[in-house]
Amino acid sequence: MMSASLKSDVVTARGLRKAYKNKLALDGTSFDIPVGRIVGLIGPNGAGKTTALKAMLGLIPFEGDLKVLGKDPRTERDELMNDVCFIADVAVLPRWIKVKQAIEFTAGVHPRFDAAKCWRFLKGTQLTPELRVREMSKGMIVQLHLALVMAIDAKFLVLDEPTLGLDILYRKQFYQRLLEDYFDEEKTILVTTHQVEEIEHILTDVMFIRDGKIVLNATMDDVGARYVEVLVNADQLDAARAMKPIDERALPFGKTVMLFDGSDPARLAELGETRNPGLADLFVATMKGTYA
Amino acid sequence: MAAIEWSDGAPIYRQLKERVVAMLLDGVLKPGDALPSVRQVAAEYQLNPITVSRAYQELADDQLVEKRRGLGMYVTDGAATRLMSSEREHFLREEWPLVLERIQRLGLEPSELLDSKNKWGKK
Repeated sequence: MMSASLKSDVVTARGLRKAYKNKLALDGTSFDIPVGRIVGLIGPNGAGKTTALKAMLGLIPFEGDLKVLGKDPRTERDELMNDVCFIADVAVLPRWIKVKQAIEFTAGVHPRFDAAKCWRFLKGTQLTPELRVREMSKGMIVQLHLALVMAIDAKFLVLDEPTLGLDILYRKQFYQRLLEDYFDEEKTILVTTHQVEEIEHILTDVMFIRDGKIVLNATMDDVGARYVEVLVNADQLDAARAMKPIDERALPFGKTVMLFDGSDPARLAELGETRNPGLADLFVATMKGTYA
Repeated sequence: MAAIEWSDGAPIYRQLKERVVAMLLDGVLKPGDALPSVRQVAAEYQLNPITVSRAYQELADDQLVEKRRGLGMYVTDGAATRLMSSEREHFLREEWPLVLERIQRLGLEPSELLDSKNKWGKK
């Protein structure tokens, strides 16, 4: 087995704090991201996801200790940006630029950009050299953006809602390309998205953020081992409640679904049918009352 | 892309392993055949590569596939035989007793069930 502890962490965050006017976007946020992982940062709107990403990219001031690839994004942003890439839902490519110009421009400003590689990534797409961003669909713009970013071969890739507004074909293709042409054990990806089902099998690790705090930080293996959902039989309700489920919801026809964290699987199996909850179920259960 | 549904019951790496095992049993994969690379499988099925590596590692531990340096994973010569004997053992130990119990509970006669001239055995 590969030992993550022997490898250095790509990100170490301790006690991050960021206040906007009268709201805390980051509230003592602490976490580590080891190298070679695909980490999902998942949280409701306004939980602090984008603020955390912006902090890592050195785009905002904040309090606390933060190192990304060993550098402080506040003071060493320029060096850091040689090894970090970022794709956000908000388009940053100018509308007038042609595919050809975008590639030439990136080659001019980024020391690690490989133009030949970028053209190779664009093969099989409808992106031709003379096409302008303004003539592209949303999916094509993301394709171009992804090709540019993958051709930089950065060590750390940050994706903020990268597939928002794309149709399912483009969304699938996006992650397929990422896994096939970019990711390896030297690389690290951090992704935020609301489309949890779509990426849950791609992730190696997951973090849930709520009110600026990390409320769950685990490998997907641990999530699978820790959380069990039980379809509790009516005659077992009291016994099940005594085992302190973290969530309970009643279904029609008298069945009740309970979610357990770290309980003995053999005992849970006695209560009724068990299954591993999806990340989406887990998210809903953990975030109950967020908008209340 | 091949449509695939992962069930909630078992870890994905195990389900992936089972798929390869089924392909070996059905003869879709034969001794000497190469398995697709971890990267290919990860991209195609949208799984993280660690999950895929883990499934491959278990297949290698069971001596069903072997790693050839720099080339990838290949089905071993003895894979089919090894698998057949372990699957048979599993059936006889785990599954058959349950089937037999059910046959008896329903008052059926095992010999009649297997007789092709008998009405239950007809296809």
